[in-house]
Amino acid sequence: MRLFNQFYIEHKNHLFAYLMRMTGDYYLASDILQESFTRLLARYRARVWSKALLFKIARNALIDEKRKYRGGKRQTFTEDLAAQDNEHELMIRETYRKVLKALHHLEPMEQEILNLKISSNLTYRDIAGIVGTSEANVKIKIHRARIKLKSILKDEV
Amino acid sequence: MNHLNSLFIDDEMTLEDKISFVRHLKHNPSTADEALYLLKQETLIRGEVVTHMPETTFATASTWEKIRDFVAQPKRLVTASLAAAVAILMLVLWSPQTTLQPNRFVIYRPDISRAEITGSFTDWKRVPMKAVGNSGYWEIVLALPEGEHRFSYILNGQDSFPDPTILTREQDDFGGQNSVLLVGNTV
Repeated sequence: MRLFNQFYIEHKNHLFAYLMRMTGDYYLASDILQESFTRLLARYRARVWSKALLFKIARNALIDEKRKYRGGKRQTFTEDLAAQDNEHELMIRETYRKVLKALHHLEPMEQEILNLKISSNLTYRDIAGIVGTSEANVKIKIHRARIKLKSILKDEV
Repeated sequence: MNHLNSLFIDDEMTLEDKISFVRHLKHNPSTADEALYLLKQETLIRGEVVTHMPETTFATASTWEKIRDFVAQPKRLVTASLAAAVAILMLVLWSPQTTLQPNRFVIYRPDISRAEITGSFTDWKRVPMKAVGNSGYWEIVLALPEGEHRFSYILNGQDSFPDPTILTREQDDFGGQNSVLLVGNTV
């Protein structure tokens, strides 16, 4: 259990940042953070826990949550950050709010791949394995996303 | 050519690629400007997202919170009750004498610098295996109770490796496998 705790401490901030960048929702990100580590421990006790596995599990948990949201069970999941209440806004650093909104202007695949890279620092190969695409596609999407952000964030950099 | 900026930022280049890239920047000021911009942008987008981490975390959840969360889910409560009932029944009907049997675990991997074993019998803690001289063999003898055990070797501290001599394995969605070992006479 000590090993798991070390793994948790080492990766929780990066995973939470990924979930925040994907959802923009502090409480939803907290829920999925906890769910991801719980799934990892429950299903993969025998495995050597890897960062790539953790992020894959988190991505799947996020997809499950999106499905629930589409089914109307969760009210807080939003793709429109402007619609969020003040409490959510307060949790997000002021300097990061524009970045978060800019990230959500990217196409979903570009957003996801870039988010995985900047949050986890996994290799292109690992990211390709997580999202189920080719390494070459990851390379293209990441650069395209950065160029798109350039036009959105030009006044912030 | 400009996608090289991203490969450079993401450290996806070999040293030779980096040398070529820096030479390219020297002769292409516009690419150099974009590289500089994207690096600055990267520090912005990789910045801290929230003012503070959520307080309720996996590792620090109190026992009471765990019990409360557990009880709050009826499905889990029913499952736990059934499991407890089965366990009690097993204890009443069957009181086995726990006997430990020595088991030698051996793998041949001359290409690694460290081997460990982890399994249900170590409470999934890693236990180092001993190198047999310079032969490439790694071994450990562990006393195991009768029953079914699951385990895997860990190579160089990171790669999970099932025992190639044991055909019974459990698979998971990610292609990882555990060896399933039967010790003694089991029902």
